[in-house]
Amino acid sequence: MSHDTHHAPVASKLDLAPERSDLGLIRPDRKTGWADWLTTVDHKKIGVMYGAFAMLFFLVGGVEALAIRTQLARPDNDFVTARMYNQLFTMHGTTMIFLGVMPLSAAFFNFLVPLQIGARDVAFPRLNAFSLWTFVAGAFVLNSSWLFEFGHLAGWFNNFEWHKALVYSDFAPANGWFSYAPLSGTVGQADAALHAPRFTGVGTDFWIIGIQILGIASLAASFNFICTIINMRAKGMTMMRLPVFTWMTLVTSVLIILAFPAITVALIELMFDRQFGANFFNPSAGGQPILWQHLFWIFGHPEVYILVLPAMGIVSEILPTFSGKALFGYPIIVFSGAVIGFLGFAVWSHHMFTTGLGPVPTAAFALLTMAIAVPTGVKIFNWLGTIWGGKIRFTPPMVLALGFIWMFMCGGFSGVMHSAAPADAQQQDSYFVIAHFHYVLLGGVLLGLMAGLYFWFPKIFGRMPNAGVAYLASGLVILGFNLAFGPMHYLGLAGQPRRTHTYHAGNGWETWNFVATIGAFILGIGVFLAFANLVWTAFKGKKCGSDPWGGRTLEWSLSSPVAEYNFAQSPVISARDAFFEDKHGGRRIAYENDGGEAGVHMPSQSWMPLVAGFGFLMIGLGMPMLSMGVPHMGWLVIAGLTVMFIGIWLWALEGPGGYMLKTPAGNSSPVPQAAVTH
Amino acid sequence: MISRLLNRALFVVVPFLGLLLSACSRAEREVRQSTLDPKGPVAQMQYDVFMDTVYLVLVLFAVVGGLLVYAVIRYRARPGDDTAPKLEEGHGNPLVEIGLITASIASLVFIAIPTLSAIWYTDDVPAEAVPTSKLSAWYSRVDANGKENYAKAVEDQVLEVDVIGKQWWFRFEYPQLGLTSDAKHSVPNELYIPRGKAVRINLRSEDVIHSFWLPKIAGKVDLMPGRKNHMWIQADQLGHYYGQCAEFCGDSHAYMLFRCQVVEPEEFAKWVQAQKAEAAPVAVGTKAEKGKALFAAKTCAMCHNISGHYGAGNFGPDLTHVASRKSLAGAWLDNRDTKAQLALELQEKNTEASTPVDAAKLKANLIKWIGSSGTSHADNGAATKDVKPGNRMHYYKMFNVVSLNESKQQFTAEELDCLAEYLLTLK
Repeated sequence: MSHDTHHAPVASKLDLAPERSDLGLIRPDRKTGWADWLTTVDHKKIGVMYGAFAMLFFLVGGVEALAIRTQLARPDNDFVTARMYNQLFTMHGTTMIFLGVMPLSAAFFNFLVPLQIGARDVAFPRLNAFSLWTFVAGAFVLNSSWLFEFGHLAGWFNNFEWHKALVYSDFAPANGWFSYAPLSGTVGQADAALHAPRFTGVGTDFWIIGIQILGIASLAASFNFICTIINMRAKGMTMMRLPVFTWMTLVTSVLIILAFPAITVALIELMFDRQFGANFFNPSAGGQPILWQHLFWIFGHPEVYILVLPAMGIVSEILPTFSGKALFGYPIIVFSGAVIGFLGFAVWSHHMFTTGLGPVPTAAFALLTMAIAVPTGVKIFNWLGTIWGGKIRFTPPMVLALGFIWMFMCGGFSGVMHSAAPADAQQQDSYFVIAHFHYVLLGGVLLGLMAGLYFWFPKIFGRMPNAGVAYLASGLVILGFNLAFGPMHYLGLAGQPRRTHTYHAGNGWETWNFVATIGAFILGIGVFLAFANLVWTAFKGKKCGSDPWGGRTLEWSLSSPVAEYNFAQSPVISARDAFFEDKHGGRRIAYENDGGEAGVHMPSQSWMPLVAGFGFLMIGLGMPMLSMGVPHMGWLVIAGLTVMFIGIWLWALEGPGGYMLKTPAGNSSPVPQAAVTH
Repeated sequence: MISRLLNRALFVVVPFLGLLLSACSRAEREVRQSTLDPKGPVAQMQYDVFMDTVYLVLVLFAVVGGLLVYAVIRYRARPGDDTAPKLEEGHGNPLVEIGLITASIASLVFIAIPTLSAIWYTDDVPAEAVPTSKLSAWYSRVDANGKENYAKAVEDQVLEVDVIGKQWWFRFEYPQLGLTSDAKHSVPNELYIPRGKAVRINLRSEDVIHSFWLPKIAGKVDLMPGRKNHMWIQADQLGHYYGQCAEFCGDSHAYMLFRCQVVEPEEFAKWVQAQKAEAAPVAVGTKAEKGKALFAAKTCAMCHNISGHYGAGNFGPDLTHVASRKSLAGAWLDNRDTKAQLALELQEKNTEASTPVDAAKLKANLIKWIGSSGTSHADNGAATKDVKPGNRMHYYKMFNVVSLNESKQQFTAEELDCLAEYLLTLK
């Protein structure tokens, strides 16, 4: 069978002779060990690293969440201080969105997209590595604020002059993930050094530069995926034959490219306000705080779909596999995904219903918000249509995928409730909203991503996660999640505002807050168990075949784990679920006559993406320390810029490189042209 | 298998359990900030729209959720099933798709119409409310002594209240009635409004964004610095209502609460008169007299106004009537017997006079509150816990005034006692 190539790569030392660039720099060529992981441009290894970092930060954000819930378990509790609580919810939100869900989605993009479209790597392999290392730099910058905060609390800095001069001694950000100006910005008039008085200290500076760096990583990755999906599809893989996950990757990438510039501009303006007295958002100098909200939410709402569309794509792959049926209404699912992406840019002000927009804009955004429920509902109907009449196998990924549909449906319902602006006036910034978006983002997106992890893990590592533990973990997650966030619907309606670090007894909120805390801990145990199961599986799990689920898309035609070159011969596709149909009778895949003795062209590894990413790390740490007043930190920023530019410069000079890698010869056959055009 | 069934059952039961429970709950009044217990037309309108969305969602939930559960049970793979794969491409069924999209849109129209009408209704005082709510309809323009309560120019207007948000308290001003900080008569944290009368609320902020949320009377509108927002409220039932800042505004956001006392219109007129009164002179040779001197010596008077005694302060809350207020420190500390008040709330007898301020509790609160703004308060020198971390009584650095020597802000227990005794005289 041509699609089941279990052979090891036939690569001779000669083939891997290291290249030299014009400058005489030697390209790294190690295929094992840490040097390999640091220099790799292999989309699969980059995907695995994205996934590992994402799971690490999921646990960090989860610990923050549990600290929050512990504080709220009892009224008038003092488990953490008010400021620490504010820092916890700020970092919880920021971590989960930017360091948890987005990189975990990116892990799937990286690993799957080239495999699903029959390509050997992404369009720009080094740019892909650059995205990863820049993400790691941004994540480290954000979380290093905790190191400074704890150092400050432990009194490490007390003897330093710069520390004595600080007016505000918050080191971890405490503005919320939305960082509304002017709380995050300035007030009054700037002094001669262009510093206007602020409401918050350097925590906000860590947040600004951290998000900015993460945005660069996301933008670079998105351009890469768009180029990959548009240009590198196998022959016959027309757009309407793309697997839905790849489609959703494309839509998500377009959303990132259109949404992130808004937050980039907003962050630069906020940074200028704080560092140079620029007054974009400073009301006492005629600036407009509302401008920040518009800029933030025209990024922030599409961001919600950036988080949820990949999970929708994952579920759209899992449901057909375990229902034994093709996806119901493929064109409608794809089209509704695109419509969601488009409408996602037209509803941002529903986050601002209470800001005094006036009745006409409020009405317009209320109606548009209701409208976006239609394509979302269409997806749910089509998933229902997919399992309808099928033969459902309750494997761990399927249980999680069904959980996704159910939780996402509930989150969608409370979303529709928010769209009624007058009702939202009571719900805005209350626990009802927390319940709503956790049903969407945790019950929805996290379950979807976990389903994806359990679905593709055998492909990634060639090992099958323990099903018993997976069922148990899924059960705990679903139980704990509903116990934690179900009661919050009620708490919000009972008037408990969010982002408050404590509340008095006697308001009628005590019982359900306590229940929610219990649920949160059950949830935490479940997520930890699910992740531990995966990590254990990666190293010790039971080996499995290349197609353990009866998959439908091209990645299941490859060996597990997937060989470095992905496809020994490039596939030529003649149907949507080509691999599935090919497997069960009709010939739907042919292979191009490349690879084999002639070898396939593989991209060379490089240190330069890592160097450029390290430059961002220096800038990201230098800027907040400069704001703190730590001496000589301006030089660190300049050094960081220099390192970054040198990295990118040498990256350009070393050239794309590449080498020929022999692949096992396939029984290459003439491409059936008639079948390709279908 | 059992865990699987359990999962299915939990899917169905839990998410909206809280919602259903609350809707059926017999004692919604126990929940002081409940949005499910509206006491005025604005909150009622918002509640009605909310219930429309609940009905719609429950129907959708039953239909879609029911179909999902049915499909999962009905189409589960059983041993011995024909496992031959189906090879047709999934094009879907155009009729089903179009039908479902149409049904979705139709069901959204069901909530769109009440939403639109409520958006306009809640935006500003409706014209039909003006004839009964305008000042001249319920508040005589001239009082018994022949003094003007309000200017003739405003007699056809409804009562207006300016709400000014600051980190972390609310200042209420009644510009038509002369209760403003410029006139040295502003009201911190405790809003008074007449029962059954529409009131226009103007929302301002002096620092960051806050939000005015009085759940039983009206949903929230933000206080945006540099902008003038407005809303309207009306309370149809007497009572003591609880509100809270609903936009994250910094360290002590959770401590930014406020109260709303709804009184009969005649009571309201008396209350306005009382607010305009100046503080009585302090008896000579008492602790209170010492406290009055300390109020200046400790620079309290730089920020706090006490009409008749100290008139320079404008930054902090007006303390002219501090001893008559039911709460302290942004309404976080309650000055009454909380249990008695709650019991009265349950019987809906929580009128103005029902639970007076408990002087002993007030004094304890004052000492706790003022004491937490210095560095050495208790006799043993141990710092008490911050009542409101980050509050401006703490952070003199904010003002950048060199002359504010921090040593002046330390209190001995005796000084705190005298200050509290002085403030207790300010009824």
